[in-house]
Amino acid sequence: MKSQNEENLKELFEGFLDSKEAEQAVEDIREGERILREHPVPEPDKKLIASIKSEIVEAVLRKKTNVFRRIVFKSAVVAAAVVILAAISIGLFEKGGSDSERVAAVSRIPAAIWESERLADDDADLASLTAEIEQIESDLLALQLGENGDNGSGAAAELEMELIEINNDFWKG
Amino acid sequence: MAKSEDLAQIIKGCKRGEAECFSRLVDMYSGRCYGYFFRLTGNSEVSDDLLSELFVKLVEKIGSFRGGSFEGWLFKIAANIFHDYLRDKQRQRKLVDGRKEQLELKLTGKDAKRADNEGLEKLQVQLDRLDAETRELIMLRFYSQASFKEMAAMRSEPIGTTLSKLHRGLKRLRELMEG
Repeated sequence: MKSQNEENLKELFEGFLDSKEAEQAVEDIREGERILREHPVPEPDKKLIASIKSEIVEAVLRKKTNVFRRIVFKSAVVAAAVVILAAISIGLFEKGGSDSERVAAVSRIPAAIWESERLADDDADLASLTAEIEQIESDLLALQLGENGDNGSGAAAELEMELIEINNDFWKG
Repeated sequence: MAKSEDLAQIIKGCKRGEAECFSRLVDMYSGRCYGYFFRLTGNSEVSDDLLSELFVKLVEKIGSFRGGSFEGWLFKIAANIFHDYLRDKQRQRKLVDGRKEQLELKLTGKDAKRADNEGLEKLQVQLDRLDAETRELIMLRFYSQASFKEMAAMRSEPIGTTLSKLHRGLKRLRELMEG
């Protein structure tokens, strides 16, 4: 880009005006600028310049501090992200295929208990239900092994009835 | 050429955050920027404030200078600062009051200092009679020393428009000064 001193004003004006008008326009501009040159404004006060320079030093320091803070903040964010990712990865590796077990365990809990907010009562219910299930499981095992001495048909029927009852109670919550 | 290479080195220093380089820019451009603000506001105190604001802003913005005419870039920031100043209604009112006061002082001849600088005052008074846009254009051209091509680019208008407006403005100023 041409600077002011290098540009040819007449050539520029001739793009829009005829040669004579262009010459006059250049003359008007030169005269106008001469008037401005003949009326210079006062120079800025030396104290003002000194004050601006000290403000600049402060602004530069402020800018450097901000840049440093930004770098520290970004590093901290990146470090935190790395730690979180590492923790998640380790967790995934350690637990491995245990997700299906957790899903199965959750599915065994009745909806009424799952959605209930009475935690103490629910815990007691769960404990008694678990105990009953364990009792039935051991009875069933004893029957299968023929430990009762009889053929076990009456006991099996009784157990079946109990199981149905427990199952109903269990899912009612 | 050596001057522009020096300027390039100074700007590089500024981008590295060297306060000394900014100081050199202050020495190089404070006079012209002050003149620009002074002619547009007609008030030395306001010009002082705007000049300080300009150089502090320069520290913040130097990273965004991507080459080309440094003067053009600097005066674009100066023009934005002046526009922000004008948008401030309170300050605008102060400016109008200040100008009114200046004119009254001149008419009554109470200000000895101004009487000493009658030529300077006359120019300021005549500049105030031009419309704001023309006055700003004349000052931008005179103090930034930008070419018409640069000015047209700064103002985002065709070069013919810039040429025409400046020509009419300077011609009118000359008539006012000689009349």
